[in-house]
Amino acid sequence: MILSFFDETFRVSLQDLYYLKRNILSILVTILVTPLLYYVSFCYGLGSNVNDMEGVSYIAFVIPGVVALSTLTSCFSSIANKVLAQRIYYTSFDEIILCPISPSAVIFGKALVGLIKGMLGCAILLIIGLIMTDGLHISLLLIASIALSCMVYSLLGVLVGFLSNSLTTVIMFTSVIIAPMTFLCGTVFTVSSLPVGLQYAVSALPLTYSTECIRASALGWSFPVLSLVVVAVFGVAFFLICYYMLSRGKI
Amino acid sequence: MLSSGENTPAPYQQLCEEVIRAEKIVVKFGENVAVDHVDVNVKRGEIYGFLGPNGAGKTTTIRVLTTLLHPTSGDVTVNGFKIPSENKKIRRMIGFVQQMISLDKDISVKENIICHGYLQKVPKKDIQIRMERISAVLGLTPFLNYTVIKLSGGWKRKTAIACALMHDPKILFLDEPTAGLDTQSRHMLWDMIRQLNSAGTTIFLTTHYIEEAENLCDRVAILNKGKRVALGSPKELCDKIGRFAVEYDGDNHVRKYRYFSDWDDAKKFVATFGDSDSVLLRRTTLEDVFLEMTGREVTTDFVKVVRI
Repeated sequence: MILSFFDETFRVSLQDLYYLKRNILSILVTILVTPLLYYVSFCYGLGSNVNDMEGVSYIAFVIPGVVALSTLTSCFSSIANKVLAQRIYYTSFDEIILCPISPSAVIFGKALVGLIKGMLGCAILLIIGLIMTDGLHISLLLIASIALSCMVYSLLGVLVGFLSNSLTTVIMFTSVIIAPMTFLCGTVFTVSSLPVGLQYAVSALPLTYSTECIRASALGWSFPVLSLVVVAVFGVAFFLICYYMLSRGKI
Repeated sequence: MLSSGENTPAPYQQLCEEVIRAEKIVVKFGENVAVDHVDVNVKRGEIYGFLGPNGAGKTTTIRVLTTLLHPTSGDVTVNGFKIPSENKKIRRMIGFVQQMISLDKDISVKENIICHGYLQKVPKKDIQIRMERISAVLGLTPFLNYTVIKLSGGWKRKTAIACALMHDPKILFLDEPTAGLDTQSRHMLWDMIRQLNSAGTTIFLTTHYIEEAENLCDRVAILNKGKRVALGSPKELCDKIGRFAVEYDGDNHVRKYRYFSDWDDAKKFVATFGDSDSVLLRRTTLEDVFLEMTGREVTTDFVKVVRI
């Protein structure tokens, strides 16, 4: 049963994997430009004027934050746009629906490419981060936190791809939800420095918890298990909504 | 060659089993009724055409029959399996080529066909062989490594058909298969559809090209404004309105048509025009039937409207 699920997931993702293989260089450049700009502007531009944060150098503090926001930006946009294009503009999503593949495998198959892209991007960012500072620890917990975040934001991408009926909707969602998340969820400064009202608002967003997990594991702090559970719960919620829409023919 | 072990042509008259049976399908989008109590009965081994003007409900009906759209009401069975409770079983035995070519434009022809094999759960060991065989039959072999975006419309359509054939479907749905193609490509696809049909595949196609329905289909249903207004073989439909057509100029140069079952009656009617060159006596065509059933929309004051 589990083997069959993985097999079906691979079958769904094959089309996107072929695309990834053909365009790996341009995809990586697209994924990495923004986080690398953050590295330069926050670590060297702003970072030189900022004292230690939470007991570590600002560079060591901000690198896991940029990795966390990269899990969101690199996974979400590409998946949401791809699913929307396949559903509305190419109608090739119908071909997938018409195949004898379970809805779960369709959802995870579409999200899998986001996970791969996100992991590749984060791996490069971490390697660059290791060159920039010696305060980072690579551990299994860090890899697991990054993988979970990538999967959750890929699932969010699938969901937004299902819910949107035009590119405008995806752009609006990116501007209204994703862009504020990347800055406010503790990626480049602590959440506690925000006004109280905003602190409550960002506590409802998954990136806050992803950042906590990735930063804690990268800096060797005590690991916030509860935050990891919250990230996973967001993932389950995104998956269940996708599953409902797909199995009821509501996409 | 395309359909395993079923190479003997199957005369339409011998094949009576219904593979698609839809009763009183209704599809509503809000207040708009796209399909209004339409019945569909397709027999095994036939080419069944759905003919209708733009917006008649052809694509909506085909999406219901291919399990992509839940009808508002009505019962549908495909090869004995019910929609929607047995959709998964139905999907294993149908192939669908959509009106808008639904290929991944950024990967190659070969990769598209292979992906469809994987999606249709063709055994992994058979995928390469089937891809090569189908590509060879459709003449796609030289284009296998081309990205789809570089192909012309006809080759894109053929690639889409190759994808739909990877799992050897028993029933092939084609939604406007030759829309936008040039004459050569259209004839090439017609030949291919006939070959597939003679190898045992039941074909359900929608079209608004009369010539296509007349050339290919064993039976044609005419759809207008969501309702089925006629059903029969092209010949039966022509006989229904009269085998002979007389067309002549009416008022304001608008062509008029009258149909006759009897040749002598038609000739008598023609004689009433004397030596007029504008009168033409000919056999009734499916186009006549189509226009009679769906209505001829004529602007009698066209010139006045244009030259204000």
